[in-house]
Amino acid sequence: MASGAALSSRNPTLLRLRAHPLKIALVGNPNVGKSVFFGRLTGRYATVSNYPGTTVTMTSGRALIGAEVCDVIDTPGVNALEGVLSEDERITRHLLADGGAELVVQVADARNLRRALMLTSQIADVGLPMILVLNMLDEAHARGISIDADGLSDYLGIPVIEAVAPEGRGIAELREALPSAARARVSRDERTSHIDWADASAARFRTISAMSLGRIQEWLGRAVREPLTGLPILALVLYLTYLCVGVFGAQTLVGMLENTLFNGYINPAATVAAGYIPSVLAQDFFVGHYGVITMGLTYAIAIVLPVVTTFFLVFGFLEDSGYIPRLAIFSDRLFRSMGLNGKAVLPMILGLGCDTMATMTTRILGTPKERLIAITLLALGVPCSAQLATIMGILGGISLWALLLLFGVVISQMVLVGFLAARALPGERSDFILELPPIRLPRLKNLATKTALRVRWYLGEAVPLFLAGTVLLFVLDRIGALGALAQAARPLVTGALGLPADAAEVFVMGFLRRDYGAAGLFKMARNGSLTGVQSVVALTVMTLFVPCVANLLMIIRERGIRVGLAILAAVTVIALGTGTVLNFALTILHVTF
Amino acid sequence: MTTRPSLSLAHLAPGTRGRVARIARDLTGRAERLAALGVTPGASIRVLQTFPGIVFECDQTEMAVERAVAHVILVDVE
Repeated sequence: MASGAALSSRNPTLLRLRAHPLKIALVGNPNVGKSVFFGRLTGRYATVSNYPGTTVTMTSGRALIGAEVCDVIDTPGVNALEGVLSEDERITRHLLADGGAELVVQVADARNLRRALMLTSQIADVGLPMILVLNMLDEAHARGISIDADGLSDYLGIPVIEAVAPEGRGIAELREALPSAARARVSRDERTSHIDWADASAARFRTISAMSLGRIQEWLGRAVREPLTGLPILALVLYLTYLCVGVFGAQTLVGMLENTLFNGYINPAATVAAGYIPSVLAQDFFVGHYGVITMGLTYAIAIVLPVVTTFFLVFGFLEDSGYIPRLAIFSDRLFRSMGLNGKAVLPMILGLGCDTMATMTTRILGTPKERLIAITLLALGVPCSAQLATIMGILGGISLWALLLLFGVVISQMVLVGFLAARALPGERSDFILELPPIRLPRLKNLATKTALRVRWYLGEAVPLFLAGTVLLFVLDRIGALGALAQAARPLVTGALGLPADAAEVFVMGFLRRDYGAAGLFKMARNGSLTGVQSVVALTVMTLFVPCVANLLMIIRERGIRVGLAILAAVTVIALGTGTVLNFALTILHVTF
Repeated sequence: MTTRPSLSLAHLAPGTRGRVARIARDLTGRAERLAALGVTPGASIRVLQTFPGIVFECDQTEMAVERAVAHVILVDVE
C-alpha cells in the first residue's frame, strides 16, 4: 500500500500495531469549538454553547479514523499550561504530560491567532505530536482577518487545517491529516517567552484589513452591555421568557396535556383498566389519590414536561446567542458584595436550568471560597426550570405583584446569605476577568439537539424519581405515616406558615425533587385549596427549601458530606424562617392577591 | 519626540485606542491571567465601556474586568 507507506514514513508511530486505541486530545482556548469537533469526530454530542466553560469535565468517545480506532478526549478550555493555572488547566496539563493523550488536536479561534499560538508553544514544550485547526474561519474573514495557513504549516512543521466546524468544513481534512501530526517546531530560545514568540509568529502569518464586522452584531453587542439599553433589554428578555414558559408552557400546553390528554383519555382509561384488577389496594396503587398513573405520571408528563421543554428551548437560545456572560457586567458589583464576582452569574443562570448541573459548573469560579458560596446560593435560592415554570404558572394566574414579591424575597435572602457568608468564611475572592463570546444567531440544529438531549435527560432522570416518589407517598399514606407527619408538622405548616395541612406532604415531595413538590402546589392552587397569600408563602418556602436529592448528592460529591449537611440544615432553617416571617407580615398588613 | 506617560486602563474614556504598555506586576497572579487572555505588552486595545464594568477589546477578544484589574493595565494611548 503506497499511501500507507508514505504515511508511515512520515510518522511511523501512528501506524504500528497498537494494543490500545490512539488517544487524541482536543485542546484549545475556551469557547473555540472543541465540543463541535468532538461531536463531528465521534458522533457523540457534547453540550455546545456560546460561552467559555461549557465543558467542565473530560468527555471521551470512540472515533474510527481511516482504519484506526481512536479515543477522542474533549477537554475544558485552557488559556495556559504553564504558570498560574486554574483547576481545568491543571487537569488538562496532567492529561497531556502523563500519557493520557498521545496526539493533540489544538482547536483555535482563527480570530485569535496570537492567543492560540501562545498555547501551541506550550503544547510543543510538552512534546506531543499535534495538529492545529483554525476554526471559525468565516467569522475571522468577516472581521477582515486572513491567515496564511500553508505558510504557518511550513513554519510550525505540523498540519494546519482551516475549518468552520458547525458547517462541517475541515472535518474530513482533519481526519486525513491525523497521521501526519508532528511535534511543532517552535523556534524559541530560553530568553524568548511564549508570548513574544506568539506575537512575532502571529504578526508574520496574519493580516488584518481594517474592516468593521457586521453592523447588526456590533450594534447588538453594544446595546446589551450598556446600562441604558441593556437593562430594558434584560427586562424584555425576562418578560419574553415568562410569556414562553409561564404562559405558553405552563398554561396553554399544560392545559392541553392535563385536561385533554390525561384527564380526558389516559386517566379514565387507566381507571377502567384498573377496575379489572381484583385488589382495591392494587387499583389505588395505579389510579388512586397517590396513584402511579393518576399522580406520578400526570405530574411528570402533563405538568412538568411542557414547562421544562419550553424553558430548555428559550434557555438554549440565550446560551448560544452569547447573551448570558454579558449579564456579568451588570451583576459584578452585586456579586462582589457576596464574596463572588460577576462570573458567578453563569452558574446562577445555569441553575435556572438545573441546580445539579450548575453545582458542577461552579468549577469555573476562581477560589474554593467562591465555589462554596455559589453552591450554597444555588441550593438556597435558585429555582430550577420546572420549579420556575410552576411558580410562573401559579403566580402568573394570580398577579404579577405576587410573582415580584416572591422573587424579591428570594433574591434578598440570597444577597443576605451571600453577604454574611462572604464575611464569615475564610479565603479570598478572585478578580473579575471575563472573556465575552461574540453575539451570534443560534443555530437551529444545535438548539434542537441540545433541547432534545435535555428533555431526554429529564425523562430519564426525573420521571423515574417522580414515580418512585409517588410510590413512597402511597406507602407512607397506607401505613399512616403521612397522616402522622402532617400532624407533627401541623404547628409549623398551618400555624407558622398559615397553609392547609395537606401542604406538609407537598414539602415531603419537594425534598425528592423540588419541581415535584412545586407540581403538587400547582395542583393545589388549581383546585382552589390555596389562597393567593398562601400560594406566595408556600412557593417561597419551596423555592428556598432544601435542594433535591440529586443536587444534595452533587454538593456532597463536590464539597464533602460535612459541607453538604451544613448547607442542608442552613437552607431548611432559612426557608421555614423566611416563610414564617412572610406569612406574618402579609397577614398583619392584610395583603391579598 | 516627547513620550507621553502610559495611562491606566481604568482612567480611559470609551472609544480610546492604544497599545498595552505594560502590566503592573503584583503578587496576585493577575498579570499571568491577563497574559493568558492575550493582554500583553504591545497588544492593541480599544475601550468599549467604563460603567458599570470596564469592557475593552484586546487584539480580537472582548473582555470585561473590574476596576481593580483595569488599574494594573497600562496603556499607551494613540
